[in-house]
Amino acid sequence: MKSRKTPPLARAAQKSAVIAAILAAWWFLPQHFRNMFLPPLNEIAFSFVEMAKTGEMWKHIGYSLSRALAGFLIAEALSIPLGILLGWFDKAERYLDPLFQVMRNTSVLAIMPLFVMFMGVGETSKIAIIVWGTFFPTLIVTIQGVKNVDPLLIQSAQSMGISRFGLFWKVVLPGALPYILAGFRQSAGVALIILVGAEMLGANYGLGFMILHYQQGFLVAKMFAGILTLAVLGVLVNALIVKLEARLTRWQEKIAK
Amino acid sequence: MSVNIVVKDMGLDYAIRGGGRKGGKLTALDGVSLEVKQGEFLSVVGPSGCGKSTLLYILAGLIRKSRGTVLINGREITGPALDRGIVMQGYALFPWRTVQRNVEFGLEVKGTPKAARRRKALEYLESVGLSDFAQRYPYELSGGMKQRVAIVRALAYDPDILLMDEPFAAVDEQTREMLHEELLRIWEATHKTIIFVTHSIDEAVFLSDRVAVMSAGPGAIKRIIDVNLRRPRAGGAVKASVDFSVLRNRVWRLLQNMPDSEREGAAPADSDISDVISDSATL
Repeated sequence: MKSRKTPPLARAAQKSAVIAAILAAWWFLPQHFRNMFLPPLNEIAFSFVEMAKTGEMWKHIGYSLSRALAGFLIAEALSIPLGILLGWFDKAERYLDPLFQVMRNTSVLAIMPLFVMFMGVGETSKIAIIVWGTFFPTLIVTIQGVKNVDPLLIQSAQSMGISRFGLFWKVVLPGALPYILAGFRQSAGVALIILVGAEMLGANYGLGFMILHYQQGFLVAKMFAGILTLAVLGVLVNALIVKLEARLTRWQEKIAK
Repeated sequence: MSVNIVVKDMGLDYAIRGGGRKGGKLTALDGVSLEVKQGEFLSVVGPSGCGKSTLLYILAGLIRKSRGTVLINGREITGPALDRGIVMQGYALFPWRTVQRNVEFGLEVKGTPKAARRRKALEYLESVGLSDFAQRYPYELSGGMKQRVAIVRALAYDPDILLMDEPFAAVDEQTREMLHEELLRIWEATHKTIIFVTHSIDEAVFLSDRVAVMSAGPGAIKRIIDVNLRRPRAGGAVKASVDFSVLRNRVWRLLQNMPDSEREGAAPADSDISDVISDSATL
């Protein structure tokens, strides 16, 4: 079942080949076919360095990351324990699940104006909207994870006369962990998406604000610098959580990696 | 030898859906009576759906009976406890625990200190030749190895009774034969009482002191057959013996709802054919 091992260097080359090709094309092609809406990559890189030097870029990144992180952590701190409880006491979940489904499937961007109306355009509404958007994905997956713990494992532990707390701590929680981590990762991605929306709706700092600001001012290279920064941040955050997942669930069989 | 397990007029009803407002019920087990001596190896065979696994789960305390008595060492069971160990059909190893920590699980529940737990687990793993795999995770093991781990996990906390639910159904023939001999060796060394549910007649006869044959609808024990084959039993010789095939045939006939060759007229093995003919004539 295990695929033949590829040397790490070759694997890195495989992984980066397509992206490298696109970046190279982006670097050279627009230099010959000029288009004001698509500056060559070296100009974008130059803008990035410039903004990094003046400190503008770091300020935007700092604002964005702290908002996303605050919203995400608050949401996870609420949704994981609640999800575990609702998965464990599944009678309550039967009543609440339809509501959760409605909430999750309503576009967060659609209710964003509502948050602004009630909470203003300050930090509170931005963080609140991220909490809202990341709360439901983790909650629903966590509930599923707890409910899907193999009943055979539960019976097996019960046959040894384990206490209810022991069962919860030693069987249900580790059994649900892969689900919880998957929800965690999904929510982190969602947090960055909502963040940008929230910052575009009204802010003075942050990558979302910055991108919109330079688009409106026709400083296209700077706008692209913001977009690419967001892309890199998204990939980094995801990679970080994947690493955490692998560490915490080493016991899982890896199917072709 | 003292009596270890007493089951008397035990029955189990399931509530079934769509049985009207008062709730319909399905009788899964009815009038089950059984006595098992300390240190005895008893197999339970029966058609699928006869409730043989359910009987085992009731003994484990995982399912509550509806009526009758179930005594373990003279005391009515109230639920699962460490005096009984169960080995389930699908191994049921905890995938997030290493082999060693799986074996430690029952000891953890029991409150055994860490060092003693570790020592005991390794001792048991050694006894089934798995000490090299102590730090592996279950997914890294073969089916036969997983089954060994499941057995020593149930043995590690030293229960009086080992309840086994078709433990070798999922492993290949050769591995199964190896596991049979291993199980008998462990049983002879530890003097546990073993209740072994299986659908294999060969397995039941080869391993057991007695074989309980169940019938379905509702599940009940039809007959208990004594297996007086000499121990220790070595695979090839025993299975090739005439005594073995006579016993095997007796259990088979009971499962086919034919009259018991021994009881009805105490017919010897060679008159079986005429029995079969007379049976088919009445069909």
